[in-house]
Formats: sequence, structure tokens, C-alpha cells
Amino acid sequence: MSLELRALSFRWPEGALALEGATLNLEPGRALALLGPNGAGKSTLLGLASGRLKPCAGEALLEGRPIAAWDRRALARRLAYLPQAERLPFNYYVLDFVLLGRAPHVPALSQPGPGDVERARAALAELGLSALEARPVTELSGGELQLARLARCLAQEADYLLLDEPSTMLDPANARRLAEALRRLVAGGRALLFTSHDAAFSAYAAGEAALLKAGSLVALGPSRAVLVPDLLETAFGLPFKPTSLPSAFAE
Amino acid sequence: MRLPRALGALLLGAVLGGAGSAFQTVFGNPLVEPGFLGVSQGAALGAALALVLGAGDPNLVAVSAFALALLSLRATLLLAKAFRFGGQVLRLVLSGIAVSAFASALLAFVKYAADPLSELPDITFWTMGGLSSMGWGRLAAAAPVALASLAALFLLRWRATILSLDDEASRALGARPELERGAVIVAATAGVAAMTAVSGIVSWVGLVVPQAARALAGPDGRSSIPASMALGAGFVLLCDGLSRSLLPGELPLGVPTSLLGALAFALILAGRRAAVAR
Repeated sequence: MSLELRALSFRWPEGALALEGATLNLEPGRALALLGPNGAGKSTLLGLASGRLKPCAGEALLEGRPIAAWDRRALARRLAYLPQAERLPFNYYVLDFVLLGRAPHVPALSQPGPGDVERARAALAELGLSALEARPVTELSGGELQLARLARCLAQEADYLLLDEPSTMLDPANARRLAEALRRLVAGGRALLFTSHDAAFSAYAAGEAALLKAGSLVALGPSRAVLVPDLLETAFGLPFKPTSLPSAFAE
Repeated sequence: MRLPRALGALLLGAVLGGAGSAFQTVFGNPLVEPGFLGVSQGAALGAALALVLGAGDPNLVAVSAFALALLSLRATLLLAKAFRFGGQVLRLVLSGIAVSAFASALLAFVKYAADPLSELPDITFWTMGGLSSMGWGRLAAAAPVALASLAALFLLRWRATILSLDDEASRALGARPELERGAVIVAATAGVAAMTAVSGIVSWVGLVVPQAARALAGPDGRSSIPASMALGAGFVLLCDGLSRSLLPGELPLGVPTSLLGALAFALILAGRRAAVAR
């Protein structure tokens, strides 16, 4: 029962190798943060793990079956992928917006029923958003919107959550709120894989971390062991030094 | 007032409102409608071509209208992709304007060049619409496809809501955005083509009715698409009444729909409940 990435490589149609031989394992109740410079392959890895991209070598397995062999609705019931940002087309109410997460559970010509609405409400409650259910999504703050989008993933009832830069653009209070929500989800048995540029956020939200550099994993292990000056310097190519500036994630 | 004409008005309004709402939802764009995307103009051109070429069979006329409507829509979508100006909302609107104008000009050309004996209804019928010639025969020719289109859009009303999200987001929810958007578009276009072949191009209904429906019934397709059908039916019935009663002679149907539609459009977009979209 896990998401296994085995020696995954990916090449863009133009020929550039975006990821080479990445191997990692994600199990329920575990959280892994992916860090690395822009263009190092973080989003590519997430794309391969969520089935949006097809590897040119290696394989991505969910519960022992190649991701590509999964029916896409069945996959969406087990694995939720959240893009970094999205356009909000209309001023949907938060409850209706979260209800869209039921899409893989509702047959094509049917409408979501009371049970689906209940699931959407439960997802909102799990993230402490119940009070917002009748608000238009377009009126939410950046932090609230990010949590509402996460609630939509929870409404999918997926055990594997793949989030692309969930904390980017959030202020410290909202980032902290999100990190705490993610911790609770992982403690509740979900598997979490996310990309980030924030070492403090990553160490707080995930027990494990991986560093990518130019398409290769250069470090993988417990966050406390990976998110250290030496390894960060290797990945990002500039010196990292501990700072005494206050952080919302100091423990 | 004759019964087939009243039924025709209700059906035309429901189809234009429902199709407009479906288009706006699946494109995530509150500024599109069949008449803005070239669908109505393509349908009118297709119907006129079939009539000029001597196809008396109303089914052939409807098929030709449908084919040209889909072709025009395809041209609009391709052109929008090729445009290098504006965001996606604006690009779709701009390319729709170009394709609509092109199809309208071709329609006028066909009318004046190939139709010296007036085989075709008057040009104002096609460009401004009208239900004066709606009898049981014409209604029976258009109704099956129009009703099937309404039923399909009603069933797809929540799928359409899912498709309003970015393709990346809807795909992550297990949807097939290209395929499903295509299904909604074909269903909507079939209804618009069937009705346009017998009523001409009736503007503004498909744009403004869904906007009002979203403001009244909520933005989710589950409520806004059925509300657009109901509101559209009532609106066109009212406008058809106005077109017969405002002047001693009959006005084209597009006159009251455009007058009231443009006015309502301005009020809705300037109002506080305007749907936010960029």
C-alpha cells in the first residue's frame, strides 16, 4: 500500500531531460517535502506521480499498479493532485466548489446527492472552514482559498495528496495554518507529497524531505537531516546559514 | 396568438438560454454565447445555403445548419488559440466577433447573389430573427433536436460546472475536459442550429439570460443552467409578444431581445452582483 516511484526519468518533447532516475516511496501516514531550485524537476516529479506525465524510463506505481494503467476516475478517488494555482471562473459558493471534489465518485450523467454534500461538509469541517461554506470563493483570502482547494481534494476521499507549492503566496499565519492542517491530515493516515521553496514550512509540515537538483535527487531522508545548510547549499548553489530571525515555524 | 408560435417562442428561449449558459460554464467565461462564438451565424448560413441549393426537406436544412454552426465554432476556437492578444476570455470574444462577422457577410452574399427570386426569407429574418412563420410543421421539424439538446444539457449541468475549472484541475478530478467539453458543445450547438434554422438569429438571449440566471439562482451549473432555460423561455415569449404589439406591423424578434438584452447586460455587469472573472 504505497506510492512508489522507481528510477523515474522524464524527457520533454524538445529533448531536455527534466528528471533522471528519481526513486522514492510514499506511504499512508507519511509526508514528504520536495525542495530544489526552479526547473530542478519538482513539478515534473509531481506530474509523473499524479499520472499527468508519462515517464520515459522507470515506473510510478500506486498500490502496485502502474499509474498509467489506472482508470482516471478510479485514480482520482485514491490520489488527489492540486495544481499550484487555478483560475476561478465564477463566484461559486465554497460548499459547491468543494463539492466538485466528488466528481470522480458521481457517474457522468448524474448529480451529486445528499451523501456527496455531506462529504463536502465533512471536508470543510476537517480544515475548520465550516463557517465559510456559504461564501463565494472569489471573496476568500489567499489562505482561505488554499484551504478550500485542499478541502476539495479531501472531498475526493483520496488517501494520497500531491500538492504543488501549496504555501507559495501565503503569509506566515496562513502558511502556519496550512502546515498544521497538513500535519493533522498525515496524522489521520493520509500520504502527503508536496513541493515547496520554504525549508521552515517543509520541515514543519513533513517528516521527510527530498532535494532535487538539475533533475536528480541529491538528498532524501528525515527533514531534520536533509534540510541542513550543507545539503541546501549543494542543491541551490549558494551558502545557507542559520538565522536568528523569528519564524512562524520555530518549534 | 397561435399555439405553435407560443410553443416555438418558449422552445427557442429555452434553447438559447440553456445553450448560452452551458457555453459560459464550460468555457469558464461569462462573455460567450452562441451568437458571440459564430454558432448562430454559422447555423443561419448553413440553413440559407441548404435552401438556396434546393433542399426542401427541413431535416436537411437542419443538418446543414448544424454542420456550419459546428464549423464556425471550430473556427472560433482555433482562431482564439492562434490570437496573440489578450487573456483567454478576451481572445475567445474577439475571435467569435471575427467569425460571426465573416459568416454573417457570407449569409448576406448568398442571399443577394444566389437568390434573385427570393427563395430565401428576407435578410432581416435571418439577421434579426422572427417567429411569424412558425407553424406546426416548422415546430415539428425543430422540436425533436431542440428537446434532445435541452435534455442533454440538463443532464450534463454538473459536469459542465466541473469543466469550468482549469483543465489541469478538472483532469485531476478524473474528468476528460476536451472530450466532455466537446459533448456539451455539440449538444448545445445542435439545439441552437435546429432553432436558428426556423427562427433566424435571435441575439442577446444566450448572453444575458445566463448572467441573470446566475445572479438569481446561483453560479453552479446545477441551478444556473435550468434557470437559464426557464428564464430564456419566458424572455423570448415576452419579446415575441412585444414584437407583435409595439408597432402596427410586426417587428423582427431580435429588436426587443436586443433592446432589453443589451440594457439588462449593462445593468448586470455594472451591478454589485456581477460574476467575478478575468
